[in-house]
Amino acid sequence: MSTDVKKSWLASRLPCPAKETGNCAPTLERGAPYLARLPALITGAALLLLASGFVLAVYYNPDHGFASIQFIARNVNSGWLIQGFHATGATMLFAAVYLLLFRDIYRRAYTAPGELVWLLRVKLFALLLLVGWLGYALSDGAVAYWSLTDAANAATGLGGAAGVVGRWFFGGPNGAGTLARLEVFHAVLALAVLGTLGAHRCATRALARQAKPKHPVSCHPYYTAQTFAAFAVFALIFAVLMFFAPHYGLNPLNRAAADSLIIPAVLSPPWYLAPVSAVASVFSTTLGSIFGVIAMLAVLAALPWLDRSSPAGKRGLVYRLLMGLLLLDVIGLGWSVSDPACTISGSLTVFFTIWYFFHFLVLTPLVTALEAK
Amino acid sequence: MRRLFAPLLAAGLLFSAAAHAEDTLTPLHWQSQGSFGSFDKAAVQRGFLVYQSACASCHSASALHYRDLEALGFSPEQAAGIAASVKLANGAPATLDDTFKPAAVPASAFGGALPPDLSTIESARPHGLDYVYNLLTGYTAAPASVTLLPGRFYNTGYPGQQIAMPQPLKGNDVVYADGTAATLPQEASDVSAFLAWSADPNLDERHEIGVRAVLFLLFLSIIAIATKRKIWRETA
Ligand code: HEC
Repeated sequence: MSTDVKKSWLASRLPCPAKETGNCAPTLERGAPYLARLPALITGAALLLLASGFVLAVYYNPDHGFASIQFIARNVNSGWLIQGFHATGATMLFAAVYLLLFRDIYRRAYTAPGELVWLLRVKLFALLLLVGWLGYALSDGAVAYWSLTDAANAATGLGGAAGVVGRWFFGGPNGAGTLARLEVFHAVLALAVLGTLGAHRCATRALARQAKPKHPVSCHPYYTAQTFAAFAVFALIFAVLMFFAPHYGLNPLNRAAADSLIIPAVLSPPWYLAPVSAVASVFSTTLGSIFGVIAMLAVLAALPWLDRSSPAGKRGLVYRLLMGLLLLDVIGLGWSVSDPACTISGSLTVFFTIWYFFHFLVLTPLVTALEAK
Repeated sequence: MRRLFAPLLAAGLLFSAAAHAEDTLTPLHWQSQGSFGSFDKAAVQRGFLVYQSACASCHSASALHYRDLEALGFSPEQAAGIAASVKLANGAPATLDDTFKPAAVPASAFGGALPPDLSTIESARPHGLDYVYNLLTGYTAAPASVTLLPGRFYNTGYPGQQIAMPQPLKGNDVVYADGTAATLPQEASDVSAFLAWSADPNLDERHEIGVRAVLFLLFLSIIAIATKRKIWRETA
């Protein structure tokens, strides 16, 4: 019987969480900006999506997807509120993730020793895109229906290994039973998002432990106060969107029931899928589109190695200018698939896609190498 | 249909005959528009009357139950009365828990153009309120340069101007119990208000809770930021 009496009852039996104690020891650097709290906000939004998604899943009926969401919004007590949390939660989560990634690129936070944290963030983004698209398909609206139909038909029509995966995923062309499968994938991949967030948390902790702060402060009350304020403002923006602009960034045509005979005039996806969907639309074949999306994420993941300057290297003026252009480029990508009235939007999409890859594959190595000198 | 509902609603209208509809037609607007909008229940009740008498024979509104009418200010008894006066396909009277009776229009009726379900039509069309209003008031004689397709009617509010729906409202299609004159613009505006409610029945509650939530979070944010600044100042 050699129980360590100093350890708590739980820590002596389950040692893992014990490692996490001492979080609030004075080991953190002072003065981090509010935006450094984005990962906490992302985790908060993900948990809210999980909780609201659980309630929605209880009532969702994949045989009548659209009608069952109508049922939730109209006939389930506070159902409209829960559904609103889920829909606006997705918008807020994606906004926070886009902001986080952009801030990381701007600050060159992906350089050693931050590569793993960066890779986990790109993985989080990739998973969220998939979960987000699945949720969009589950909405079973007039626009989402066609997105799903196209994807399922294309994926099942592929040859070789890709076709095997596609047929396994969709179970055949869009039809009875497709949404039931997707509901399962939506939920399972959402749990994978949480797992990724957990790994990300461990990795950021490890980074923080390596850092030797010049002016150490303890997490509480210094950073708990900041985190609380960040959450309050996040919730405020959330509430404004949810209660007063619940459909912001979403295609209004998707609020009608799906119709297998009518293709809506505007087929734009929710804003957070738009840049990716734009890149996919540039390629004329299914494999091409899949390749485009994977390449889009792959260049992000490869950033730590595309950046040729030393980790501590300063950001030069040209680099910062390019970041501004990249921001405009991604916004342009999203916008170019949302505005069918613009006749040149097709060529703009191509141009923005080319610029995106040009930025990461050519300009980033070039400029960072030049500015490192 | 029309003869059945008018007296029922005449008895049921919450808003007494003295309270004429305020003029929402010049300039055209609806109380539910805007960030803080709420439904004008009198207008929505009148719009329901128009829907039941002039649209329900062709258009379903399957997302609605008769019990939902209570949200418009009808008492449970009045809503039950309205439901009971509807004969379902099997001949039985409808109850509060039935969805609005589906319209049975044969597919061949309008040259293949099926009347869509109206429950969410206003959220499915950009600027749905104005869209429906302009559609219902947009029937005119076709200009000489336009050749109408068979079974189509000229409508300035419809994309392409040629719609398969015959003009449903002409003015005085209903008798309003609150004494409002049932002109075509009034009927069109009221039924548009009803369809706005049907597309987004939680709007009132959403805005009500929203104002409180936003005010609360605003103060919370201010206090949280002030606290954080104080703590950061003191942790020198
Ligand atoms: C005689 C049957 C009939 C009646 C009565 C009728 N409609 Fe229609 N309605 C149709 C048909 C048919 C269409 C499809 C038109 C088309 O596709 O060209 C339609 C289409 C519509 C549309 C959709 C237009 C679009 O953008 O696709 C709206 C909105 C509409 N009706 C509203 C109403 C309202 C409101 C009333 C009652 C005041 C009403 N209708 C009464 C037959 C009818």
